Amino acid sequence: MTTAPSPGAAPGSVPAAPAPTRLTVLQGQARVSAGPRVELSTVLGSCVSTCLFDPEEQVGGMNHFLLAEPPPGSDAHTIDEHYGIYLMELLINEMLANGANKARLRAHLYGGANLYPGMAAIGSANAAFARAFLLRERITLVREDMGGNSARRVDFRPATGMVRCRSVANTFAPDERPTRRPTGGLGEVELF
Amino acid sequence: MSKTTRILTVDDSASMRALLNHALTTHGFEVAQADDGQSALEWLQLNEVDVVITDINMPRLDGFGLIEALRRGTRHRDRPILVLTTESSDDKKSRARNMGATGWIVKPFDATKLVAAVRRVAH
Repeated sequence: MTTAPSPGAAPGSVPAAPAPTRLTVLQGQARVSAGPRVELSTVLGSCVSTCLFDPEEQVGGMNHFLLAEPPPGSDAHTIDEHYGIYLMELLINEMLANGANKARLRAHLYGGANLYPGMAAIGSANAAFARAFLLRERITLVREDMGGNSARRVDFRPATGMVRCRSVANTFAPDERPTRRPTGGLGEVELF
Repeated sequence: MSKTTRILTVDDSASMRALLNHALTTHGFEVAQADDGQSALEWLQLNEVDVVITDINMPRLDGFGLIEALRRGTRHRDRPILVLTTESSDDKKSRARNMGATGWIVKPFDATKLVAAVRRVAH
């Protein structure tokens, strides 16, 4: 697992100093920045992070999601994609609001490990969903480091598109719980 | 015999359109899809619907532009328009209301609430 530049990123453009402003992206979040000193960081087990970068606008963003459990009563193998689609859309919209163009977006995917043998391969399901989403939305996937059985730490410089992905001890992975389809708050309807 | 409610969903995300299509057709609605406001306007020049469900952030013509264009014309001036968006800003909600939107639904949507809203505004 190594540092990888995105297309359009200037080689060696990560400054040695001053120290970056590190922002953690937690499960269920999407953050976007064009700040030259900003570094978006996350630790992933079976969750997946998408890093999006617009090389022309020099803006990038990261999300961190775990697909929701299927609705009650449905096939146990059915994966509820709703929450993943929502977090992908949240990231894309925030990118567009910061000047990015959807057609120029370049994506990296990380995570999707299956940490515990014998348990449901939710990491693989997350990875498959993320790849299929990018394909459907015609967003170019330039790099992925997904699967396996180790947790990962991802550090992303959104202004340059530089990503560093390293294996870390599984004990560093957050306690990931599948997100249930929200029943209150989100999804609220207001008729005018 | 009751008439099937026809819905036009407008969203630039193919994934979201597929999700909406599944949620609405399984509840008996007839669904057409457009990938942005401009495509929706062109489709609506030739077709009739009972309800429009639109996203806000879209290329070419966004949801605000679509609402404005439909309310400015005569053919769809009174058509119910539900905004379905990840936006949580009160300013944007007020803007949609002032432009003539019928309702505001926050993503990720709850299919039961969405269907109830569509049934309420369609009649």
